[in-house]
Amino acid sequence: MSGRLKLTGQVLALACVAGLLALLVWRLTHQEHAPKVGSEAPSFTLRRLEGSGSVSLASLRGKTVVLNFWASWCDPCKAEAKTLERAWEAYRARGVVFVGVDFHDVTGDARRFVAVHGLTFAMVQDGSGDVTGRYGISQVPETYVVGPDGRIVAHMAGPVTGAPFAAEFRSALAKAAA
Amino acid sequence: MRVLAVAALALALAGPAAAAACAHPRTSLGYLEGQVMCPTCHTTLDQSDSDAARQIEAFIRTRIAQCATAKQIEDELVANFGAGILAAPPKKGFDLLAWWLPIAGVLAGALLLAAGVWRWSRRHPDEPEPAASGLDPDEERRVDDALAHWE
Repeated sequence: MSGRLKLTGQVLALACVAGLLALLVWRLTHQEHAPKVGSEAPSFTLRRLEGSGSVSLASLRGKTVVLNFWASWCDPCKAEAKTLERAWEAYRARGVVFVGVDFHDVTGDARRFVAVHGLTFAMVQDGSGDVTGRYGISQVPETYVVGPDGRIVAHMAGPVTGAPFAAEFRSALAKAAA
Repeated sequence: MRVLAVAALALALAGPAAAAACAHPRTSLGYLEGQVMCPTCHTTLDQSDSDAARQIEAFIRTRIAQCATAKQIEDELVANFGAGILAAPPKKGFDLLAWWLPIAGVLAGALLLAAGVWRWSRRHPDEPEPAASGLDPDEERRVDDALAHWE
């Protein structure tokens, strides 16, 4: 093999290895992690599940926001639906906003879920799961409480009716509404 | 009584026949299960038993029963979940790269290999003619003599 051809082959092989390494580093440094309590809540604009228009987190700045990630195929989401609706009814007068983020869900099923459980707070849809990924959601339901300054006050990975989270949920809401 | 029985039989036969009538060949759940990803487990539907996968399968089943084509069902799923719901990337725009890059890679590899083989098989004109053996003519004569002695 001539020297030039050999050199070209070696350069190409090195370029391939460097490219793969760069890809690996990029993947490792861009992995989604759940934002920590006290950090800024990832911004989003998502279309409403019913009707037209969208909801953006930025438009809710100045209010306490309860972000509940759910899906109609998720059984624990059914279990906590009534608790969330009751909490929304109790705290809406105090300026707390509830937003349900439906993810990886068939729209028709999601709408049926909302109707069956009589949920009246704002519902948006994250079909692709992009926003859900930025919140590091691995399984639903998960709930974030975002303070009026846009920072995360509490994060509950599981149904808010569950023993570990029920008290935390009530306390976060009370703190936020105070 | 007989008339009623005949009518009931006709209805029983007409129902499924009407449901089965599609203007085009019906697609199958099995085919689409291999084309559609489970969004929560990142495998195709046929390899997943998650709740999300089962929900999408139910949706596909319903749409197949309504005579939707595979393309229509895929389009509806993309509108709902985004392009990532399809196992294969779309053959347009930037996503075309995913189809062409592997082919380009294989072609480039084949070209490199062919160039290498061509170089190896082609002797350079100013390269000296290689000796038939590693011996100089004097040594070669002595080996021939020695061999002749043993014959």
